[in-house]
Amino acid sequence: MSDNKKVTNPNFWRSLKEYHDNDAVFTAKVNEFNEGVTDEFDPSEISPVSRRKFLALLSASAAFAVTSCTDYRDKGEIIPYTKRPEGVLPGKPNFYASTCTACEQNCGILVKTREGRPVKVDGNPDHPINKGKLCTTGQASILNLYDPDRLQYPLKGKSKTDWNEVDSSVISSFKKSISEGKEIAVLTGLITSPTTSKLLNDFVNAFPTSRVYSYGLFTNKNRLDAWKESYGSDSLPAVDFDKADVILSLDSDFLGRDGSTIENMRKYSSRRDVLNNSNFNRLYVAEGGMSLTGMNADYRLRVKPNLQLEFVLSLANEIALKRNASEIDLSGNTLSLVSKYSLNEFVEKYSLNEKYVNNLVFDLIQNKGNAIVYAGDTLSKETHLAVNLLNEILGNTPVYSNSTTTFQKPIVSTIEIKELISKMNSGKVGVVIHFDTNPVYHLPKDLGYTESLSKVNLSLTFSQSVNETSVNSNYTLPIHNDLESWNDFLTRDNIYSLQQPVIAPLFDSRQKESALLRWINENDNYSEDIYHKYLMNNFEKNIYSKFDTPTDFKTFWYTSLHDGVLELKNNSSPLSFNSNSLNNIKVESNNAITLHLQKNYFLGDGRFANNGWLQETPHPVSKIAWDNYAAVSPSTASKLSIENDDVIKIEADGKQIEIAAFVQPGMADDLIVIELGYGRTEAGDVGSNVGFNANNFIVYGNDSVKYNLDDVNISRTGKRYALASTQEHHAIDDTFVKDFHYIRKIIQEGTLQEYKENPKFLDKNKYDIFDITQPHIYEGLKWGMAIDLNKCTSCAACVTSCNVENNVPVVGKEQVAMGREMQWMRIDRYYSGTPEEPVVSAQPMLCQHCDNAPCENVCPVNATNHSSDGLNQMAYNRCVGTRYCANNCPYKVRRFNFYNFRDHFANAYYENDLTALVNNPEVTVRSRGVMEKCTFCVQRIMDERENAIREGREIIGDNVKTACQVACPTDAIVFGNINDSKSDVAKYRNHELGYHVLESLNVRPNVTYLAKLRNTHSEEV
Amino acid sequence: MQTVDYSQELAVIEKRPSLREIDEIISKPLETKPDKKYYLALSITVTMLMIGVVGLGLSFYYGTGLWGNNNPVGWGFPIVNFVFWVGIGHAGTLISAILFLFRQKWRTGIARFAEGMTIFAVMTAGIFPLIHVGRPWLAGYLFPYPNQHSLWVNFSSPLLWDVFAVSTYFTVSLIFWYVGLIPDFATLRDRTKNKIKKLTYSVFSLGWRHSNRHWQHYEMVYLILAGFATPLVLSVHTIVSFDFAISIIPGWHTTIFPPYFVAGAVFSGFAMVQNVLIFIRKIFNFEHIITLDTLEKMNKIILLTGSMVGYAYAMEFFIAWYSGVQPEQFAFINRAFGPYAWAYWIMVTCNVVFPQLFWIKKIRRTIPVMFAIAVLVNVGMWFERFVITVTSLSRDYLPSSWAYYTPTLTDFAILIGSFGLFFTLMLLFTKTLPVVSIAEVKAVLEDAQPSHKDH
Repeated sequence: MSDNKKVTNPNFWRSLKEYHDNDAVFTAKVNEFNEGVTDEFDPSEISPVSRRKFLALLSASAAFAVTSCTDYRDKGEIIPYTKRPEGVLPGKPNFYASTCTACEQNCGILVKTREGRPVKVDGNPDHPINKGKLCTTGQASILNLYDPDRLQYPLKGKSKTDWNEVDSSVISSFKKSISEGKEIAVLTGLITSPTTSKLLNDFVNAFPTSRVYSYGLFTNKNRLDAWKESYGSDSLPAVDFDKADVILSLDSDFLGRDGSTIENMRKYSSRRDVLNNSNFNRLYVAEGGMSLTGMNADYRLRVKPNLQLEFVLSLANEIALKRNASEIDLSGNTLSLVSKYSLNEFVEKYSLNEKYVNNLVFDLIQNKGNAIVYAGDTLSKETHLAVNLLNEILGNTPVYSNSTTTFQKPIVSTIEIKELISKMNSGKVGVVIHFDTNPVYHLPKDLGYTESLSKVNLSLTFSQSVNETSVNSNYTLPIHNDLESWNDFLTRDNIYSLQQPVIAPLFDSRQKESALLRWINENDNYSEDIYHKYLMNNFEKNIYSKFDTPTDFKTFWYTSLHDGVLELKNNSSPLSFNSNSLNNIKVESNNAITLHLQKNYFLGDGRFANNGWLQETPHPVSKIAWDNYAAVSPSTASKLSIENDDVIKIEADGKQIEIAAFVQPGMADDLIVIELGYGRTEAGDVGSNVGFNANNFIVYGNDSVKYNLDDVNISRTGKRYALASTQEHHAIDDTFVKDFHYIRKIIQEGTLQEYKENPKFLDKNKYDIFDITQPHIYEGLKWGMAIDLNKCTSCAACVTSCNVENNVPVVGKEQVAMGREMQWMRIDRYYSGTPEEPVVSAQPMLCQHCDNAPCENVCPVNATNHSSDGLNQMAYNRCVGTRYCANNCPYKVRRFNFYNFRDHFANAYYENDLTALVNNPEVTVRSRGVMEKCTFCVQRIMDERENAIREGREIIGDNVKTACQVACPTDAIVFGNINDSKSDVAKYRNHELGYHVLESLNVRPNVTYLAKLRNTHSEEV
Repeated sequence: MQTVDYSQELAVIEKRPSLREIDEIISKPLETKPDKKYYLALSITVTMLMIGVVGLGLSFYYGTGLWGNNNPVGWGFPIVNFVFWVGIGHAGTLISAILFLFRQKWRTGIARFAEGMTIFAVMTAGIFPLIHVGRPWLAGYLFPYPNQHSLWVNFSSPLLWDVFAVSTYFTVSLIFWYVGLIPDFATLRDRTKNKIKKLTYSVFSLGWRHSNRHWQHYEMVYLILAGFATPLVLSVHTIVSFDFAISIIPGWHTTIFPPYFVAGAVFSGFAMVQNVLIFIRKIFNFEHIITLDTLEKMNKIILLTGSMVGYAYAMEFFIAWYSGVQPEQFAFINRAFGPYAWAYWIMVTCNVVFPQLFWIKKIRRTIPVMFAIAVLVNVGMWFERFVITVTSLSRDYLPSSWAYYTPTLTDFAILIGSFGLFFTLMLLFTKTLPVVSIAEVKAVLEDAQPSHKDH
């Protein structure tokens, strides 16, 4: 513009203004058709930020604003899985066969690991004893691997030390002891591992003054000793309960606590399989307490444990002498002993049900050779001797299995224990090693073990966590969890199973065997695999050599590890009965109050006290969690004016305890039953001071350990102690609420006879129900479950399996008492009949996945809804927690997170990085304020769906196995596609015994129950 | 026998006050500074409110586990309180709308105050559905709004109907209340000399000039709103009762619930209005405006609705027996003789027995006695909701899952807090707005309407 020439005196002009004021007009003329800004501007005055720069800044600040609003957290280092470990596919589990050591039954297990961490333990299907099943304790034991109370390093006194220091001081102590001629005592539990046994032998060889003491809180030593006297053998046979038409259980909870319960349950219930075999067995139970087996009895007699001997001898008298039905000839002392007792007198004296006893005698004689009389572990040796005699009289020995159990180390006698303690007291013991046992807790105080421990130069305790013994020891040595360990076990004399680690040791712990091995080979350095090599060596020498196989050792070893179990040759010899074994029997009859000490159901010998899942599993009979108690019968309770939750003082044998009382229907009168394994004081945050420690009452007699005490004194203290139960206790004889489970058709039952006469006898209970709307038709898949109440023993393995599979939190006693337990599955228990002689019905209860689910239409936010394949679903993210669904659920199976229970329980005990590893990654961990419930293991259904899609096939309903179904020892739970007429579940659903709970509501549940048939006596009725 | 002269209409307002006197006496509390007693009362109610705030704060922090709710009893105090407060909120709109349509002139003295109570009671009630949920921060999910999840609320859930019923009722009651206030705002605007007050009243009076034309429009709007609010009075508690009646729980699943709940709500609402008015008329010298006759009429309604509630109690038992459904029969026997029998009999005595005393005229007209009975009615009505909610849940179909519900301290704190909130709002109301409608009272003065008297 500036270079435009200024024209003065233009030649032609259009206005006077143009003529005179040329400049302004000129500028206007130049700009007349300019585009955009016409004003002059100074580049130095405009912002130095260019348009592009401005946009860049704008977007940057927007990005800052947005990112500052995210909940970005440092999630740690993320390592790409570019080099995938062989065999590990992220998202896919790996399974490893191993062996469970929760008890000395050593069931085979299959450990499920995800990305290298074990998340679930189930039974090994290839294992001939437990056949893929596992008990509650075994299922929940996985939590012990991730227990925050696990010791992470060795302790000297209470302070941290390291293994080198331990090794040198232990080895020097050993040497000192040997040179001084002092004993090195090794206290172990019951040894079933041949390699551990060999190692202990090596240990004794290496340190010649050492001695091994094998003991337990409960052992079957009485049974074993009696067996040895009767048959001269240390190998105790298992019982083939499936071969027995009639079972008489004498204070034996063979379905719940005694012996190989998983195997027993399977065999017992195989004779309760209404679909395949209507040849039912008949179960008589004569017991003092009310046990799980007693709940399942067809006939139950109330006999105190100290009267069992008299009862057995009376039965022998009745059968062998009165009815002359003995299979063997009684002679001499046995004859004169047996002839002293009369069954009629016994029945009269203790007012037993005469009809039941007559039926029992009749059935035992009728089924000679196909019956079994089985006594409990806690009964005296004499009772077991008499039972052996009775079984011989009845010719029942064919019911004994060929499969026998022999402990690798004999259980020590009471005298040896007492001697050990006196040796310790007199300074003759240099070193005591507690080989993962807890004698300070187990042994009664009057033996003075704790005091004697301080007189020993060096005491070591191998343990996963601090316990009562370790706090009294010089060193506490952390050991591997089972899932970090190598070992082998002779589950039976002919069944060999291997244990292998499924995770690298989490802490600076050692396998207890490795530690001993390190001390035996004192010059070698410790390496993690020393016991592994030792085991392989032993395996090659003793197991591999027994198999005449062309495969080389390595292949054989890996195959065995893969399978987890090997069957060895059976070399059992025929039984020969020594009828003189009963020579020294004395029968004491006592009418005073008796105290009976029983095993608990889930905590083992107390070692699982710190396992929240197990503490929270309700007692199968009383439904009390987080406590043990003194159970008394209703009439004894009213005689002593005791009520539930009263604290009573029990005095016996110069000892006393204050314990909460619980009135248990069905108990024998004048009897107190206390379950042991509770009252730990040094168990950790979960297990300490839970329940009452009554171990003190165990009597270490002259020849055996006694669990029954006579002449017990009971007094009220006036104190109260709240027991937490998952079921409200209604007075059983209260007519107000009596028999509701029958009236409301929650439980439907019949007798076998009734069923045989009219298989459709349940139809009279059916309702003619119609829908006022068009019911939804499910085509294709529809998921359903069936539960056979004939097979269910209410053992609660399903409950725990569900807890582990579905990340069910532990809520603690106070929350259970408030009725806020979170278990998705529960076993409901109902009594009918009289409080003295109740009939018990049990029923596993879980979400019924109703077609007309009442929970679904009341949820205001659609958080619970129905899938096209018949699942009642929960969308946790959508749930606001109105709890309306739970209110409207007639089965009350919905569970609400009143707190963030992981945070709330025991100061967030389970809220840590370690315990989080136990969670199943396939299942959402629910937080506070959300409703939850059984999903029919939808994650397993999805797994099958993925497989079906990958393999290009239809989904097969029977391929999906829910966690409870997998765990159920009796296969009482069946799951699958009910629209598939060939599936098992459809068979159950259409069975004439199938019914739904609360059918009259027309909610159309998808869990079918098969009515229980009681095999009561029909011959005379 | 005394004869009554029905040809003469009885005066609703006594003492023949002049129009100016009406203005003065009603606006007096607004023009004077609060006295010590007022602050004392306010400090008590605010303390109660703070107790509730603490209880609520703890519940938000730790979770609903602080309450007594458990697995069978999913609903406890919060829902009981919700139903109770919604019930209290029934009297106001009933008095101002239904009684207006029925041309009940005696309502003019108490309508404004009762409406205010409605608003505050519904506000108090409205808090509970939101706080009782497990995740209150997600309570917004209960409202249908478009969202990226394409998730809609479940229109078949009675809880959702509740959301609509209560929010509609609140909105309409608020509008009705406000419309009624417009002429009074104008009166106050004209009286006040304080500039801020004047500005505020001017804004709220919407330029009201008491012109004939304004009155014409106003009367029409008021009539329409009254017609609009009338069905709502019946619908709200009907829908609240659906929360229970739609379910399948024995003791909840009954068809009598809608009328029974509405009757109960009017019952408790009138009792609460009567209680508070007894204080108001005394403190503010409204005895000639809110007359003893008015109180007596309210007591008659309490007697009527109380008898309806008593009938419903009896009918529930009859139907349970007649149905032949065992769980249903047990639910009612259990109420009367089970573990919660104490609560049941408190309810029956307070709701059925005591209100029957109102058959006696002397009692209807004796202030201390009627006050005590109305207090008992509210206690009884709270227990009615407790009995319905808790006893049915604590023992439903499966005896295995029965459990006893025990409320916790937090539950009580929140209950106290709800009373604190209600009475705090009430107290603030008495000092900020005319608690009696100036315009309406003027309209029912003896000389306000053309009459043939003295001619």
